[in-house]
Amino acid sequence: MNPPSQILLEAQNVSRIYGSETILDNVSLQVRAGEVTTIVGPSGSGKTTLLALLALLLEPTSGRICVAGRDAAALSDRERSRLRNEFYGFIFQSAQLVGALSVLDNVLLPAFLAGKARESRTVARELLQRLGLGARADFLPHQLSLGQRRRVALARALLLRPAVILADEPTNDLDARRASQVADFLLELPSEGYALVLVTHDRQLAERAGNRWEIHEGKLTPPVGIPDSSEPDLQRILQNSQQ
Amino acid sequence: MLRLIGNSLLRRRWQSAATVLGVALGAGLLLAVVLLYHGFDQGLERGRQRLGADLLVVPSHATVDPDNALFAGSPLNVYMDSKFVDEARKVPGVRRVEAQFFTQSLHLECCSVGVETRLIGIEGQVIGRLAGMSPEGRARLEKDEVIVGSELLGGIGKPGALIELLGEIFRLAFRLEATGTALDYSILMPMESARALAANSDALKPVWQDAGDPHRLVSALLIEVTDPGRIKEVGRALEDLGPLRVIRAADSFQRLKRLMDGFVFVLAAAGFLTALGGVAYLLGHFSSVAWDRKGEWALYRAIGATKARMVELVVGESTILALGGALLGLPLGYAVYRLAFARLASHNAFPFVAPSGVLVLTAAASALALYGLIGLLSAAGPALRVAQLEPALTMAQGDID
Repeated sequence: MNPPSQILLEAQNVSRIYGSETILDNVSLQVRAGEVTTIVGPSGSGKTTLLALLALLLEPTSGRICVAGRDAAALSDRERSRLRNEFYGFIFQSAQLVGALSVLDNVLLPAFLAGKARESRTVARELLQRLGLGARADFLPHQLSLGQRRRVALARALLLRPAVILADEPTNDLDARRASQVADFLLELPSEGYALVLVTHDRQLAERAGNRWEIHEGKLTPPVGIPDSSEPDLQRILQNSQQ
Repeated sequence: MLRLIGNSLLRRRWQSAATVLGVALGAGLLLAVVLLYHGFDQGLERGRQRLGADLLVVPSHATVDPDNALFAGSPLNVYMDSKFVDEARKVPGVRRVEAQFFTQSLHLECCSVGVETRLIGIEGQVIGRLAGMSPEGRARLEKDEVIVGSELLGGIGKPGALIELLGEIFRLAFRLEATGTALDYSILMPMESARALAANSDALKPVWQDAGDPHRLVSALLIEVTDPGRIKEVGRALEDLGPLRVIRAADSFQRLKRLMDGFVFVLAAAGFLTALGGVAYLLGHFSSVAWDRKGEWALYRAIGATKARMVELVVGESTILALGGALLGLPLGYAVYRLAFARLASHNAFPFVAPSGVLVLTAAASALALYGLIGLLSAAGPALRVAQLEPALTMAQGDID
């Protein structure tokens, strides 16, 4: 049996409450390098909120988010921004491309913000090539189909070779063929060392991805075979077993 | 980051162009207003300095506006007996009397000066005061020397140059700096030379048949009093000498100054309002940009822009637009100023001193800096709001257009 890989991201007893409504209730989760973590649940179950918390886009009401072993609550805005830029790659529900920028510049956005645009240009073109968009680098987003835009967003997420890819409903609104292409691409990423957190309500995609966590009304249930890490004692045991 | 800003501005080219144009018009107008304001202000000051007298005495039938004669350098083609010079000197309270002699326009009469030109005979301290209006100025004139206005002779107007006037040869003593008045088109010479020239001119003979021997005529007296508190009294005594009209320089100066002050105030207010309008325009523009592009800014935050970087992005865009607009507008403003100056100079209506090249450049650099600052300040508020955007917003929004 292979030794467990490094924990990159960890939610420890995280809750998120809006007003009187509990969106996430005492959720614990670990994300490891080279693995897929699939979170499945119906609309409004708290999937996107959990992803936003893992991505440091939101603060938990209680509990801790640890990034590579560091408590995110102790990080400054600069450190959190840097992690979002270099540690995470985001694929949002919609492609979230900037309409005023070309496809290539959209892919280069994280590099522009990191001041690495010049050295990232070749990588950006290679990624577009790999995703079948090499000839459309100078197009504007409105000149692309929905599936093409989704692939541009994929290229953008991978540009700076982040450790964790966070994908929120990546096949949403795509026809079956396009959805399958995107899924193929995504599910190959863990083999290249990326940790993939996949949030979806698409049961088929979740079946293919494996390591499926179920979320329902803010409560997260681990896959069969993995103990519920929201129990502190069990979590400690699990961690000990991994060492 | 500059590339990101540049791309963003280029892709929104119509929006950017409209903003740049708005700023360009404001900056151009501001520069034109500042240069005109300075020109009028200096013109008024120079008019006051040029006067150097408390009272101006002209024949009572003089119809030319004396304010214009005093401050805009326009000569009065009227004459009175030169005996009034001596009589005026005897009036109690008079310290100094200087006469001036104006001739007819030399339009078409002069073979070396191709434009309408006035000849003015001057004496004494007037020469000294004029000397202060030229870097080459000197307080004495020989009989065959002349002083010329800034708009005459062009490149050949160097001291020592020979000029033919009504058949006589003169030497150029020095050239005056621009005043924007009729003085710029005038030739000044010693009183006796002007009289002799006028007397020998066939074209002017009919004038002297009516007015008398030009050697015994003067056009105006500039009078300095011993005690400024006695100006009214001295003025009345001078009017008693004969058919004379006495103009108090202070009254005349104050009247013109009030008129000019009003004009200058309008210009200053226009300049201020233009700058203020620039602030309001850019503030409105960038507030709307901050709101309209909320999704884009939130995305930047989500994928790693720090708050400080967000401020840089918004302020960078605004400063580039403001500076770009100002750079485009300044040459336009200068062109507007030149047009206005050309019209003013052609009418000789107001005392006006054209600002020097250094001053024009300084004003342009200041306007550029001001608009850079306006761009920066007007974007500061929206930029801070953008920096506070929740990056999680991007999780909930649709595509960004």
